Amino acid sequence: MNKFYTLLFSCLIGSQFASAQDYSNYSTLTSRAQQLEKKYPSLVKVKSLTKTLGGKDIWMLSIGTGNLTEKPAVAVVGGVEGSHLLGVELAIGFAEKLLAQSATDSVKNLLNQQTYYVFPNLSPDATEQYFAKLKYARSGNAKSTDDDRDGVFNEDGFEDLNGDGKITMMRIEHPTGEWIASPDDERIMIKAELTKGQKGKYLLLSEGTDNDKDGVFNEDGEGGVAFNKNMSYNYPNFVAGSGEHMVSELENRALLDFLFEAYNVYAVLTFGPQNNLSNPVSFNKAGTSKRIISSWYEEDVKVNDLVSKTYNKIVKAKNAPVSKATEGNFADWAYFHYGRFSFSTPGWWLPETKPDTAKKQKAFAEKNDETAYLRWAEKENISGTFSTWAAVKHPDFPDAKVEVGGLDPFVLLNPPYKMVDNLVTEHTNFVMALSKMVPTVAPMNVKTEKLEGGLTRISLDVVNNGAFATQTKVGEKSNWVKNIHVKLETSGKVLSGRANQTIGAIAGYGKESLSWLISGSGKVTITIASPSNGQKTVSINL
Amino acid sequence: MHINIKKSIFSLLISGSILSSIAQESSQMFQAVGSPVNPKVAVSWNKYYDYEGHVTIARKLEKAYPDLVKVQVIGKTAQGRDLILLAITDYKTGSSPDKKPGMYIDGNIHSNEIQGSEFASYTAWYLAESFANNTFIKELLHDKIFYIVPSINPDGRDNFLQQPNNANSPRSGMIAVDNDRDGATNEDGFDDLDKNGHITMMRRKNVNGRMKLDPTDPRRMIQVGADEDGEYEMLGYEGIDNDLDGQVNEDGEGFYDPNRDWAWNWQPNYIQSGAYKYPFSIPENRAVADFVLKHPNIAAAQSYHNNGGMILRGPGAAEDEGTYNREDVRVYDALGKKGEELIPGYRYLVVYKDLYSVFGGELDWFYGSRGIYTFSNELWNSFQYFSKADTDPQSTSYNFDKYLLFKDAFVDWKPFKHPQFGDIEIGGFKKTFGRTHPGFLLESDAHRNMAFTFYHAYHTPKLSVDDIEVKDLGNGLKEVTATIANKRMMPTHASQDLKYNIEVPDLVSLTGGKVLAGMIVQNKDLNIATEQKVNPTVIKVNNIGGQNMVVVRWIVQGGTKYTVKVDSKKGGIAELTK
Repeated sequence: MNKFYTLLFSCLIGSQFASAQDYSNYSTLTSRAQQLEKKYPSLVKVKSLTKTLGGKDIWMLSIGTGNLTEKPAVAVVGGVEGSHLLGVELAIGFAEKLLAQSATDSVKNLLNQQTYYVFPNLSPDATEQYFAKLKYARSGNAKSTDDDRDGVFNEDGFEDLNGDGKITMMRIEHPTGEWIASPDDERIMIKAELTKGQKGKYLLLSEGTDNDKDGVFNEDGEGGVAFNKNMSYNYPNFVAGSGEHMVSELENRALLDFLFEAYNVYAVLTFGPQNNLSNPVSFNKAGTSKRIISSWYEEDVKVNDLVSKTYNKIVKAKNAPVSKATEGNFADWAYFHYGRFSFSTPGWWLPETKPDTAKKQKAFAEKNDETAYLRWAEKENISGTFSTWAAVKHPDFPDAKVEVGGLDPFVLLNPPYKMVDNLVTEHTNFVMALSKMVPTVAPMNVKTEKLEGGLTRISLDVVNNGAFATQTKVGEKSNWVKNIHVKLETSGKVLSGRANQTIGAIAGYGKESLSWLISGSGKVTITIASPSNGQKTVSINL
Repeated sequence: MHINIKKSIFSLLISGSILSSIAQESSQMFQAVGSPVNPKVAVSWNKYYDYEGHVTIARKLEKAYPDLVKVQVIGKTAQGRDLILLAITDYKTGSSPDKKPGMYIDGNIHSNEIQGSEFASYTAWYLAESFANNTFIKELLHDKIFYIVPSINPDGRDNFLQQPNNANSPRSGMIAVDNDRDGATNEDGFDDLDKNGHITMMRRKNVNGRMKLDPTDPRRMIQVGADEDGEYEMLGYEGIDNDLDGQVNEDGEGFYDPNRDWAWNWQPNYIQSGAYKYPFSIPENRAVADFVLKHPNIAAAQSYHNNGGMILRGPGAAEDEGTYNREDVRVYDALGKKGEELIPGYRYLVVYKDLYSVFGGELDWFYGSRGIYTFSNELWNSFQYFSKADTDPQSTSYNFDKYLLFKDAFVDWKPFKHPQFGDIEIGGFKKTFGRTHPGFLLESDAHRNMAFTFYHAYHTPKLSVDDIEVKDLGNGLKEVTATIANKRMMPTHASQDLKYNIEVPDLVSLTGGKVLAGMIVQNKDLNIATEQKVNPTVIKVNNIGGQNMVVVRWIVQGGTKYTVKVDSKKGGIAELTK
């Protein structure tokens, strides 16, 4: 049954999500978001932040009750990397599963206290390539770019030489080739190593021709600027896919325009390539002592550590690969430039597969994702994700043996769809556990002392009831994170202490002590408020 | 009174009939060399104009010189004003306007640094009014195009001029920012207590204060000696603690710095004070950046700030030291040193070394991201008080005001009853003194700075196909060799441009005959050349150096007449037929 009929059929029986067979394309995602708004009108508002150049809306779901902007919020962001469809699924799936439980006391309570901003897909132009006639891993949006900076735009993209509807690799037998078949699994190509006495046999290139005859293959195809390469932290200038300057793209700008005004956001959770949840970041003193910092601050590392422990308790997959630091990515931006607690996970990675002795499998001599994938796929009975190398005629190599084959695009980042539901459940549970650490401020130890002459001294502690500090160490210094505002209103006269003041950061479970000296009688109201830490009021009668 | 002056300037500007009725007969006027004697658009350059004033000048120039001046709206400001740009060239001659090497000029990125707009508008006016009678200007507008944005920050300009301010306020643009992070924006700015349009100083008599009157000029406050009793304490700029948080004037207009908003080595506000949300999150800057991205012909740029008498080049941040290589520094040095000569009292300096290290500045983006040779001039300095270097500018400024401005720059101290400080006195220099030019020096310095931009613009590349040599190779084959020269100081690609392929190579093409092969000739005499195998008709030349040339060659079948054309993004178009 093809996708169209699957969709049609599931619409007819009215349970389109339960029966979904594959990742969601743009129109399915759109209807999933709209369905939620229809089903939970008092809890969800769906809004388009902007339209991409490809004409697709960037959806934002605001989830919560009452005045959302006054409650601490978590921003849940998916689709930062266009080839990572699972990220989209985890984000929208979280919204669905959370709302499905909205009648339970615990979720009802949660939604009375906190807000969630869910951005399921920041790369809709790119993710759509998964569903297109020609399927290939794509990160860039629909902007026309000159990736090889030769003055011509999109002139050298992929070609589907074997006509199978997807872009894999091609290997060319060539005297200057640097690649050989892996001794662990001869279907997979690895680089020959001189020190091992190996000599290369193949050139290995992506599938296509050198249309612009510049000696480089498929270096300037359709697919413009990548969301996850266009952010202002550690931005790579003049790199294919990074754009002409930082934050140049509509998607990036629209999200940032929203987030910078969303002062209630205390944490950002990204479902994307970066991972500081399986393994927390480590503190690097040298990285925080320079003018441009490159390490999390020590106090924030502790928070990351705590959150990571929570994650590993809930999410069962282990042995996550070490997260690669990429330039211009969103999750790093959320900490270093946005000043919020930023957590990120790809949600899934290739599990380790032990050699099956019954099948006489041996342990691999070398670590390689592709050989590992094939062994895992075999165990899981996943088939059809590898194309056997098969000869094609190639105009650029008329005299050489050219074969097209290799691993399907997407499979290393995205598990088979049937595994997704369980991953969504785990990650939804994680977000709820994360929400319990929310920093919230409240008054404690409120004391009024009557002094002579109609004077009263009021003292109290402003405490943080959450495990997180009220601000990250970066946030403490940033204009874009609000302080806690303490306001005292009285018909009397304030002789000491300030009627209006702000408190900077309060550590997790920490406090700040305040006192005032007031002459006169009547009512005193003290309001303690910060958009990301909630609001509390104390009333005292003198 | 303030408002009335503004209105009368405006009506003078818009009403030609009033102007002509009070203007002198042209027969009574004789040209002072170097200045237009009877301009079609009469503007007096000894005063300041608000943004609408500059728009009016621009529109009048466009109307008077439709073949030289075109005004376009390149975006909207945060408060909804039209951001205008004047594109000035000889539209009737030369190649198409946006293919000519371009010189970009703006002023007033900091709201209080207003005279850059007068300098920019003066430049536009001077070009248009001098074109008919001056050969140099005629040639300049034949070869080049000027893109002039009189104010890159119109909202801030009008705030500075129309609202009570001091010489330093506002530096920020007009988007409200919560400086004290208490949840309220702009809730505690200055208060013009004496209602004179200027935010001056507050002082209070106090024997425990550490200030006294200067015996040589009692308007001036000086510190008392270590063993002396004081007379006064200073209470800062005019203001009230409006939000009762124990601080006065701590959350006024802004604050962000539009010159920390540019997308080269941009850093957030906790690292680089003044940065806004992300690069080009300020709409005025974004409009300019988008314009520059669409105009790769811009080869040179100038922005006007105040003050200090400086001709600044990048890098702005020490981290960018390696960006500027030796070839580029040579070009910058030649231009900057000429600037020192043209504008006495100004010094040619490098921002990060000689001033301070700063991220996200405009000149860094222009050079770093676009490969455009760019200067920022800090207009006005104390040298101009008495045309000599000044060791005590603060005291000199009082003398200058006394003897040359007849105390017009100073608001005399007057008593005031302050709701929080009690009996105080208010007084001090007006906002238009100290950082901006006094009227009689404005036109002179505008002219000198303009002359520097003309020198800069003149030295953007000028390409020509100097010679085509045709040699018969027999067998019906001909060898066609062309010499492409750059007659100016700047190369077609700055070294930054070459390093990152910011702009595409210069394209040299041949028409006439069938091209069989094409090559760049490294040594004509020894016959050493590098062949371009793909598409040899259009030879890609990475760069044509300043005051330099390249030689290209084709092997051609047939043809009798050959046209060689060079098309360079920053060097313009030239061709020759033989």
